[in-house]
Amino acid sequence: MFSYYLKLAWLSCKRTWGMTLLMVCAIGLGIGASMTTITVNYLMSANPIPQKSDQLYFVQLDAWQPNNPFNDDGDAPTQLTYRDATYLWQAQKAKRQSIQSGMVAVIEPADKEVLPFMVQGRANSADFFPMFDVPFLYGSGWDHQADLKKERVIVINAELNERLFGGKDSTGKTLRMAGEDYKITGVMGRWNPKPRFYDISTGSFNEVEEVFVPFSLITEQKFNRSGNTNCWKPTDSGFQAFLDSECIWVQLWVELPTAQDKEAYFSFMNAYAKEQHQYGRFARTDNNKLRDVMQWLEYAEVVSDDASMMMAMSLMFLLVCLLNTIGLLLAKFLGKAAEIGVRQALGASRNDLFIQHLIESGCIGLAGGLLGLLLALLGLEAIKIMYGDWIRDLAQLDFTLVAMAISLAVVSALLAGLYPTWRACQVQPSVQLKSQ
Amino acid sequence: MLNLLARLELGPIFRALMRNKIGALLIALQIALTLTIMVNAIFMMQERSQQMARASGLDETNTFYLSNTIFAQNYNVKTALQQDLQRIRQIPGVVDVTQLNAIPLSGGGWSMSLQTKAGDDIEGTGSAVYMVDEQGINALGLELIAGENFQSSDIDWREIGSTKWPAKTIVTKALAEAMFEGDWKSALGKTVYIDNHQPMQITGIINTLQAPWNGWNGVERSMLVPQQLDGKGSRYFIRTEPGRRDELMPQIEKMLAESDRGRIIRNVTSMEQTRDESYQEHQATNTILLTVIIVLTLITGFGIVGLAMFSINRRTRQIGTRRALGASQWQVMRYFMLENLLISVAGVVLGAAGAIGLNIWLVATFEMSPLSPVLLVIGVVVLLIVGQLAVSYPALVASKISPATATRGRA
Amino acid sequence: MLTMNKISKSFITDDVATHALRDIQLHVNEGDFVSVTGPSGSGKTTFLNIAGLLETSTSGEYLLDGEDITQLNDSGRSRMRNQKIGFIFQSFNLIPDLNLFDNVDVPLRYRGLNASERKKRIEYHLDQVGLASRMKHLPSQLSGGQQQRVAIARALATSPRFLLADEPTGNLDSQMAQSVMSLLEDINKAGTTILMVTHDPSLAARAQRQIYIKDGHVSELTSNNPNLHLVNEA
Repeated sequence: MFSYYLKLAWLSCKRTWGMTLLMVCAIGLGIGASMTTITVNYLMSANPIPQKSDQLYFVQLDAWQPNNPFNDDGDAPTQLTYRDATYLWQAQKAKRQSIQSGMVAVIEPADKEVLPFMVQGRANSADFFPMFDVPFLYGSGWDHQADLKKERVIVINAELNERLFGGKDSTGKTLRMAGEDYKITGVMGRWNPKPRFYDISTGSFNEVEEVFVPFSLITEQKFNRSGNTNCWKPTDSGFQAFLDSECIWVQLWVELPTAQDKEAYFSFMNAYAKEQHQYGRFARTDNNKLRDVMQWLEYAEVVSDDASMMMAMSLMFLLVCLLNTIGLLLAKFLGKAAEIGVRQALGASRNDLFIQHLIESGCIGLAGGLLGLLLALLGLEAIKIMYGDWIRDLAQLDFTLVAMAISLAVVSALLAGLYPTWRACQVQPSVQLKSQ
Repeated sequence: MLNLLARLELGPIFRALMRNKIGALLIALQIALTLTIMVNAIFMMQERSQQMARASGLDETNTFYLSNTIFAQNYNVKTALQQDLQRIRQIPGVVDVTQLNAIPLSGGGWSMSLQTKAGDDIEGTGSAVYMVDEQGINALGLELIAGENFQSSDIDWREIGSTKWPAKTIVTKALAEAMFEGDWKSALGKTVYIDNHQPMQITGIINTLQAPWNGWNGVERSMLVPQQLDGKGSRYFIRTEPGRRDELMPQIEKMLAESDRGRIIRNVTSMEQTRDESYQEHQATNTILLTVIIVLTLITGFGIVGLAMFSINRRTRQIGTRRALGASQWQVMRYFMLENLLISVAGVVLGAAGAIGLNIWLVATFEMSPLSPVLLVIGVVVLLIVGQLAVSYPALVASKISPATATRGRA
Repeated sequence: MLTMNKISKSFITDDVATHALRDIQLHVNEGDFVSVTGPSGSGKTTFLNIAGLLETSTSGEYLLDGEDITQLNDSGRSRMRNQKIGFIFQSFNLIPDLNLFDNVDVPLRYRGLNASERKKRIEYHLDQVGLASRMKHLPSQLSGGQQQRVAIARALATSPRFLLADEPTGNLDSQMAQSVMSLLEDINKAGTTILMVTHDPSLAARAQRQIYIKDGHVSELTSNNPNLHLVNEA
């Protein structure tokens, strides 16, 4: 029976091909627009590290200005002071902790013919690599001792390794950066979490850095920091004064496998705040926060306003297309009243006719869905061109999204077809059979 | 007058519509939704266009900048800077150059809070900070509207980690207005406090200079300070004579890179490119919104054509009968145009309510300002016209139906 | 085989009650050929619709093969239409998208027969009406008379208990009308019951029994009384 109905649907669509085309185009456009924006939103809000996103926590302490909270919403500042972060990190109270900040430096290649160039880098502690499951092509990160001893060690990414060492195993080799020699302990494999959750202070979807060095080297002032720095209190001159100041520019991530671990660490943070309060800091002692990856991304509103707004518009657009489809299906089915009457006379029950026309709606929906997928692909390409490189990884269709597109199209068409189908089946066969 | 209205058959048209509510309702709803989306989309495009049109205060067509990063050890930053600036100024076609710590509209820069009174807990006004020398105003192409420019004796060196600010500053009109209750002229000569306690005297006021962050509500508030950075990284901001920018950009880059190998010259960028990149997302969103509006209107239009054709098809015998009873072709066409007008009016009324509702939600969620009624009126008129245009073809087809169908049935 | 007891049908529109049929009594035996005549507005069409289960009566009892139709819901009535009744319409009502084979196939699909069984029946009945060679043609490629023959093949394909014909020759010229009537007579002689509505007295006279409907009442012409009189049969 199902293949019979498919055949009938095909014949019917062919006969009123103009209307069918209009419906398929309308659904296609609606689905295309919706899927484009849904894809971008879905990928923007995806979990960048699903295997342990609920064990990694971003530490926020509120040592900000007494009478003025950091934000309009009164939440804790988005970075830590050097003093606070270093204290927490040294206490080693979590399973793992990574203290970090951005940096930039100049690399002088061994080949004197090649001009020196700048790299974007990260200054972090040893735990960064195991905490974030960073993949390695060769070698690995460094250990805690290297942090403490301020060793000149470095991890480089695959592209840099390709550029400087032809892609071969360069562990143990030296790299000259910021006027000093660094030993390569490892070469990072392909890793580009979107969003770049571990540091969103300068942009949520930035690329992963090219080099990684120990955070403890920051105090040596060999390279320049990069990133946001906010100070609410005037500081004395000099770098040491800066390190001791209330300026926030450091980030701290901790790994806490169980809920109890999280509770314990949170208590530890609050106890520290209370203790510091006695020295005149921390006007608010209970505004500290410990958010896991998804909570942090949600708080930081990583999905841009534009993206959300456009998804809302696309869905309304889809609604218009569906209304259009309802109208056209109504017209189409009522136009078939004569045939419906004949079929009823020949023994089709209302049920049979209902199913037949629902299947016809579904077929139109399927065709519209396929067209919609095509349009979504085009739409995503256009998005990449218009918005720039950073959105490249956020504008890809995966299997889930393709399935979503087709289901959305078919379900919408079925819903749109419900009323017209019901109306068409209410037709009195006697009326239709006589009138001609 | 009533006679005219009576001849328009509005009553019968309306009653006939009521007996076939669903078809009319579908068209009305489509028109309503289209109006809602269209008006708000145009409104958002307007907002963005206005933002993009704001002047930065710079001579954008003729300026560009580059980054200078020093990596050699034992490098004399001060001498090297003087040499660089001198060399650049001597190149024919160059109007001026200054060392600058941040670039307007680039997304990254310095900001400080200025207070009208010294003290620790006083509320201040945020401002972008630009560090220039005495040629800065000329190099950026700014307009001095009060007071005077810095002199070369005012210019200080700022070491890395220093927190000392100079005694003088030049501020934008917007910053002056923000700090002195709208009376910017009175700001000249006054003292403001930076870093809670350090006094700075306002010795000049410039018309416009935007901050690096185009989405910041304080984007018009900037201050110039007479300092040059004594450190490993800085930018040179260069202004050329009209038409000479493109040829001079690579020329100056090459000259600087070759003249001194202890540093890297990177990111040679024009201000026009910076503006394009700064507003890239705005532009893209606008393009998308425009596409949505156009496609939506087309879909609604074609939907009306389709439904009207069908509805007229069903009434063929009725139309033939009307013609047989004496209706002219024009009167038949007019009947269907009026019928569509009634539906469209219902649709736009619903749509206007929807547009206002959606706008209220958008204003609350995305912090925009409410849309102007003019936009709503324009949207209503456009959709009514679209509806009439769409139905004109089916109405024309209806008018051509032969009176003979009254007796013969379908042709 | 078919019995109507006190069947009545009234319509209420805008506070006006129209009594289309009043207390109809009718009994049709297997193999009868019954013609139904009457003036316009007499209730012929309503009678036809009720007999064919296309409408429900307002009151009364309708027994078809012993089963009380009035108790059935829509699916039940559809089933009865499919299994017991074969329709032939004035305007043929073939489905224009489908070729002759597929047109005859339609009621068989709702019967749930498998493909080979359907094919057998379709080919047999199209052959019976002499159109087997044009199985793949569309209705638009046939003359009126040929289309009506296909409709007859369609009606017979389900092996119905009786054929219900509504002005079967109404849209045909006299020559084609004759050939269709002959076909119907042949079918009746082979044992199929036929109930035929017509306005043409000469065609009505070719039936074995003649029913006359006027103002919602049914009367039957009998051989010993060629004039009308009211009959109440139990």
